Amino acid sequence: MKESPIGTSSSGMLEGQKLQGMVVKRVEKELYEIFIGPQHPGSGHMRIIVRLDGDVIVEADPDIGYVHRTMEKLSEVREWLKPIPLLERMTIIDACNATVPYVNALEKLMDKSPPPRASYLRVLLCEINRVASHLYGFGIFGVFLGHSTMYMWTFGDREIFVDLAEILTGARLTHSYPIPGGVRRDMPQDFPEMARRAVRYMRGKLEEYRRIFLDNPVIVKRLEGVGVISRNKAAELGIVGPNARASGIRYDVRLAEPYEVYDELDFEIPVFEEGDSLARTWIRVEEIKQSLSIIEQAVDWLERHKGEPIIPKEDYDKLPKLHKEVYEKTGRVKLLPVNATMKIPAGKAIARGEMGRGEIIYYVESDGGTTPYRVRVVTPSARNAIVFKYIVPGHRLMDLPAIYGSIDYFPPEADR
Amino acid sequence: METILYLIAYPPLWQVLILGFVGALLVAMVAIWFERKAVARVQRRIGPYWASPRLGGFMMIVADLIRYATQQVIIPTTVDKIAFLLTPVAVLVVTILPLAFIPLSPHELYWPVASMEYSLLIALALTTLPPLLTAVLGWASSNKFSIIGSLRESYVITAYELVAVLAILAAAASTLSFNIAYIVEAQQPVKWLAILNPLAFLAAFLAVLMSTSAFPFEIPESEHEVVAGPYTEYSGILYVLNMGGGYIRRFIYAIIIALVFLGGWAPYTPGLDPFTGFIIPSLIVLVKASIIVLIMSFLRAVYGRYRLDQALDAAWRLALPLALLGLGWSIVLAYMNLI
Repeated sequence: MKESPIGTSSSGMLEGQKLQGMVVKRVEKELYEIFIGPQHPGSGHMRIIVRLDGDVIVEADPDIGYVHRTMEKLSEVREWLKPIPLLERMTIIDACNATVPYVNALEKLMDKSPPPRASYLRVLLCEINRVASHLYGFGIFGVFLGHSTMYMWTFGDREIFVDLAEILTGARLTHSYPIPGGVRRDMPQDFPEMARRAVRYMRGKLEEYRRIFLDNPVIVKRLEGVGVISRNKAAELGIVGPNARASGIRYDVRLAEPYEVYDELDFEIPVFEEGDSLARTWIRVEEIKQSLSIIEQAVDWLERHKGEPIIPKEDYDKLPKLHKEVYEKTGRVKLLPVNATMKIPAGKAIARGEMGRGEIIYYVESDGGTTPYRVRVVTPSARNAIVFKYIVPGHRLMDLPAIYGSIDYFPPEADR
Repeated sequence: METILYLIAYPPLWQVLILGFVGALLVAMVAIWFERKAVARVQRRIGPYWASPRLGGFMMIVADLIRYATQQVIIPTTVDKIAFLLTPVAVLVVTILPLAFIPLSPHELYWPVASMEYSLLIALALTTLPPLLTAVLGWASSNKFSIIGSLRESYVITAYELVAVLAILAAAASTLSFNIAYIVEAQQPVKWLAILNPLAFLAAFLAVLMSTSAFPFEIPESEHEVVAGPYTEYSGILYVLNMGGGYIRRFIYAIIIALVFLGGWAPYTPGLDPFTGFIIPSLIVLVKASIIVLIMSFLRAVYGRYRLDQALDAAWRLALPLALLGLGWSIVLAYMNLI
């Protein structure tokens, strides 16, 4: 229970030794210590060290890092475009949201801005990703509470949005869609109708989810008043995304610092006051509704502005004749080899974006070479992991999945 | 002919071996198959299919059974070997045992035990044994998740056992007899206690859900906190004995409920020969019990699981008063001579 950095420890152990980042814990005989994870049906790619007093958790230690893939370091040895397919693998279910801010940072360094159609296409894919990501989180949450029906339904319905993304970009999950200055592909002709049908279908399904899951007396009993994060606590812990908004903090990067064309779109940021697991569940339903509305608006805009460019004029002029033909005919942008070894002017840039799980921040530094000098990523899950440490204690062991699922924590995203 | 039929229908043999082990195995398999198939239908899946498309994938369950039976049984070095190996077998035997004290015919000739005067009490008492062995499982496994699972099981026992006993004994109160055969005969033809006394029936249903860890009370083996609860360390055939034990227990409870609440063989008046007097009534009870088991299995598609303390709360605050009310209403029924 008591913990103190080595050296200042009152336990007398290892006095004088100072190991950075290490803590000494006194062994408490009355406490029952269980290791949930990394090989456990309810842990994900992480370990939660839980100390129990009877059925009550007195201490929970999130032990993250099991899927650390050194993405920041790998980005430094790859040419500027190559981190895009790399970085989207940290949140494979939310790929476009994860890479758009990186591309935005590059655009800031290159002083380039995408044409509006490219921006709308990015927003379209971002929102499709957001819906798919929330549905994924919902499914995991459902099965954490033993509700396998919710799991199957959401994973089945998520498939529709994954398919939409595939039709738009050619890949189910790892789209690598945005490139500095634009996007790789234009929308197919019949895409708007498909998107509208998916939106209509999903709206009906949300009602069914409410009836079987959100208004299910067992589920409500499990979630109501569990894992309450007060407004102050959320601000103090630096929680982001839907979890912060469920605690009454009206903060969304799409609102606070609109990127792409979010300032031209009409949508609301749902905010709840309760801050418990139930509010965190409901807010995701509301966000799905908003995302569906954004998808409709984006598709409408794209239909009205057919034939507009998806890469800047100066990039288009540089293309050889064959590539121009492909671009005119199929709407695909074939990148030149020169793009692989392009140099970006020296400088520093920060870009932010709102992923399904919250705010993602990129700090990109260039020394004028062909690779980034430094790419720093702060992901929402990395910031939400702290909930385990400070919110879980005091709850019962069976509340752990209820809180874990409700904050929609995604270990690969946190570990990068 | 008569002798051969009597040999087949020799009550202890028929009831404990054929209806008990074979019937319970079949019902458990059908229940698992139905659970997987029905839940798949709710969840927009197909469920088991390719093992036998014409049987709706039923052979998948047989295939699973074969796989479990031939799988390596891993015995961790830290376990208490004797308890670890014997308890699953003991669970199965003890679970079937109540059948020996349940009459499935109104005629004394076909009772497995000569006297059935206290059959309801004895059968109920025997149904309370398997949960104790579950506690032994967890202790023998020497695994933290197993121990937590067993502890949860023992918490849940305290909550549902009283409810189950009170609710089912309400039947005895209204018919003024502990003899199951007499209780069934009193319900002829459709004076079923489930209709006359729905409170006790509901309480008994809830208690059975809790005792057999069906949803929404699947707490002792809740996967996302305690992996598989008491069964975490088990593999192969020993695991099947444990898991199947749960289904068979549900089946035994369902037989008791079918007898005391759903009128047993009620609309049917058994004859005297072995076929009409014993085999047909017992099959009617089997069908009724299977329906109860299937309904209980289906709840998986609808509910999540309650938290441990909420389940205990529900048992003490909701199910226990319900059972007491049912008992009171039974006494009223008996007093007014309604049954």
